[in-house]
Amino acid sequence: MSETKTKQQGAVQTTGHAWDGDIQEFNNPLPRWWLWSFYATVVFSVLYWVIYPAWPVGKGYTTGWFNDITYTVNGEERSRHWNTRSLLIKDMQEGKEALLTQEYMQKVEAADYQQILADPDMMTFVRSVTKGLFGDNCAACHGAGGAGVIGLFPNLADDDWLWGGSVEDIQNTIALGRNGYMPAFARTLNEEQLDDVSLYVLSLSGHEVPADKLMRGKQLFTGEAGGCYYCHTAQGTGLKSQGAANLTDNIWTIADVPSQAELAGKAAVVKEVIRNGVNRVMPAWENRLDENQIKLLTVYVHELGGGQ
Amino acid sequence: MAQGAVLGTQQYNYAVIRKFSVMALVWGLLGMAAGLYAALELAYPLLNMGIPEITFGRLRPVHTTLVIFGFGGSALFATSYYVVQRTCQARLYSDSLATFTFWGWQSAVALGAISYMLGYTQAKEYAEFEWPIDLLITVVWVAYFWVYVQTLKRRSQPHIYVANWFYLAFILATAILHIFNNISVPVGMFTLKSYSMYSGVQDAMTQWWYGHNAVGFFLTAAFLGMMYYFVPKQAGRPVYSYRLSIIHFWALSFLYMWVGAHHLHWTALPDWTSTLAATFSIMLLLPSWGGMINGIMTLSGAWNKLRTDPIMLFLITALSFYGMSTFEGPLMSLKSVNALSHYTDWTIGHVHSGALGWVAMISFGSFYHMIPRLYDTKLYSTRLVYVHFYLATIGIVLYITAMWVAGIGQGLLLRAFDDFGSLAYTFIETVSFLHKPYVVRALGGGFFVSGVLVMAYNIFMTIRQASREEAAIEAKLAAKLARA
Repeated sequence: MSETKTKQQGAVQTTGHAWDGDIQEFNNPLPRWWLWSFYATVVFSVLYWVIYPAWPVGKGYTTGWFNDITYTVNGEERSRHWNTRSLLIKDMQEGKEALLTQEYMQKVEAADYQQILADPDMMTFVRSVTKGLFGDNCAACHGAGGAGVIGLFPNLADDDWLWGGSVEDIQNTIALGRNGYMPAFARTLNEEQLDDVSLYVLSLSGHEVPADKLMRGKQLFTGEAGGCYYCHTAQGTGLKSQGAANLTDNIWTIADVPSQAELAGKAAVVKEVIRNGVNRVMPAWENRLDENQIKLLTVYVHELGGGQ
Repeated sequence: MAQGAVLGTQQYNYAVIRKFSVMALVWGLLGMAAGLYAALELAYPLLNMGIPEITFGRLRPVHTTLVIFGFGGSALFATSYYVVQRTCQARLYSDSLATFTFWGWQSAVALGAISYMLGYTQAKEYAEFEWPIDLLITVVWVAYFWVYVQTLKRRSQPHIYVANWFYLAFILATAILHIFNNISVPVGMFTLKSYSMYSGVQDAMTQWWYGHNAVGFFLTAAFLGMMYYFVPKQAGRPVYSYRLSIIHFWALSFLYMWVGAHHLHWTALPDWTSTLAATFSIMLLLPSWGGMINGIMTLSGAWNKLRTDPIMLFLITALSFYGMSTFEGPLMSLKSVNALSHYTDWTIGHVHSGALGWVAMISFGSFYHMIPRLYDTKLYSTRLVYVHFYLATIGIVLYITAMWVAGIGQGLLLRAFDDFGSLAYTFIETVSFLHKPYVVRALGGGFFVSGVLVMAYNIFMTIRQASREEAAIEAKLAAKLARA
């Protein structure tokens, strides 16, 4: 090919101008393949304009022909010229994936929690949908496996439930959100009292602590000076309605007790929590996710931590 | 040839071209280093180091501004002043006005970069400059236009050479784009903050009309101007086809203005604007290739130069990348392809095959030709030009392949469904997938930056050699005079 081009050039004249001493121009004709390819793109474009909305005319535009989209609204069939909005509606109504999801979604909608939990097929679907639902909405705080971050975000994968582990409780938590609050005792209790309460709290979960401190701590915990029992109950087993932690099960969501080897260290981390209090917020999802999505997430979270 | 014999350094205003050339290299090094660091931040977010000024969000506009306007802009000022003088055989219209364009442009670029790091931005891509800098740019641009047109009017040639058409189209289009996209209302006389005149979809539409024509006229037409001078000059061959140059020049100028909306497919933009943008992008393919054909075919009959001349290697490789990215662009502008590619790194890869492969390579080639002539000397080392060429080419190939993998991969992950019709991957899974391609991209960037370092050294040594030669001549002259 280059040979023929060279031959051609031999015959072609330059335009006769010269710039900057030696720059000249041949006057080769437009390469045929180039010209025809260009025409082809023009033809392609014209065809495109015929079938898609393309040119503005007055206050409207050419809508495109032979390319209408038909879909259903409230049982009524509608036909519109090609447009991205109708395309989306149609795809959500008739697309292969949409149909698959719809079929299961209707099943989930009709079933109650016990039925869903008992149906292996529906549970497989739950896991498929919630991978994305949990991963895109919940995992940013609670982690991809729901293990949470100690001190910040509760672990959803253990057996311990701050706000209750029944499906109804979990659904409420997701839909309405939660405010995890414990007052700071920095001004109510002095250093010694804080030490005593911390040790008492540790004793509740079976840690060996000095008897005198334990007694003083218990007085604070169950008496009016500390008033801890209001929320955590006199036995320290916690109160679901307040999101107050069970302190007897040795599961820690705020104070990182397991990270400390010595009793002094464990007491110190508990003391920090009592001193500074807790202020955690889980946002409400009812306006961001629909009822079915919350239902699916409820089942997933319930499964994750062995719900009650 | 007669005029060529008169020393160009005396006949023409080379001083301002020298300044622009040196600054192009300075901004190029800084801007590409900023890009490399930003690329590393994406692979290793720890590198943000919690310092607001260097976080990715601020460093990215610093990178784009320094490479497009600092490096690319200065290279265009330099070569356009060189080309217009030499092809018109006329001295630049006004030395002082030309010098003003130099200082004005350099301050705008520097002020822009500093203000972005401090957090001031209009938040319009490639038009982040806040309003006082926009005003400065407008004044500089009018001065540039005036110098250029007045020089053209003083030409001692009957015809205006094709390179000048492209440069002039670039100057005119950039003026229109800059003014209309930057119309905004400052919050107050003494604040940098301003709000755009447009809102919502109109704002997006105006921005991408600007954005894509910045690519079309700033990064394409202008560099074609560069190509039309330096390729035939370096090859010592006539341009392949005058007819083709006319046709593709007008087709390019007419078609480019329509395509901006292809950056906004599948958004709130009306569907008919999307269609027009897509079809005009398709029709742009062949006019773009017209430039490539004209450049590459100019070498026909002298292909052996590719074996012996590394500068020619730069110029022809640049044209090949130009052809490749102008094929990829129309493809990506089709709605169905765009549904996959949009919001992924494929776009970043596409931009860089144009920016590194075409814009930077054609500039490097032109500079290696021009700078020794500006200083009336020879290039310090041809071997280093080869080294630069291979570093740059390896860098580009690594960069764009990494971005194809990242972009197409993420696009496919985002649209994958499982057997139940649920999305198969969470968003974060599609992000962690990007880590490895990001590392390879940074590696490619590293190659490219080291190539520019080699070039900076080569040019520095060339200029030093020139001043030594000059000093030697002057000493001889002085000695002669003393003897007489």
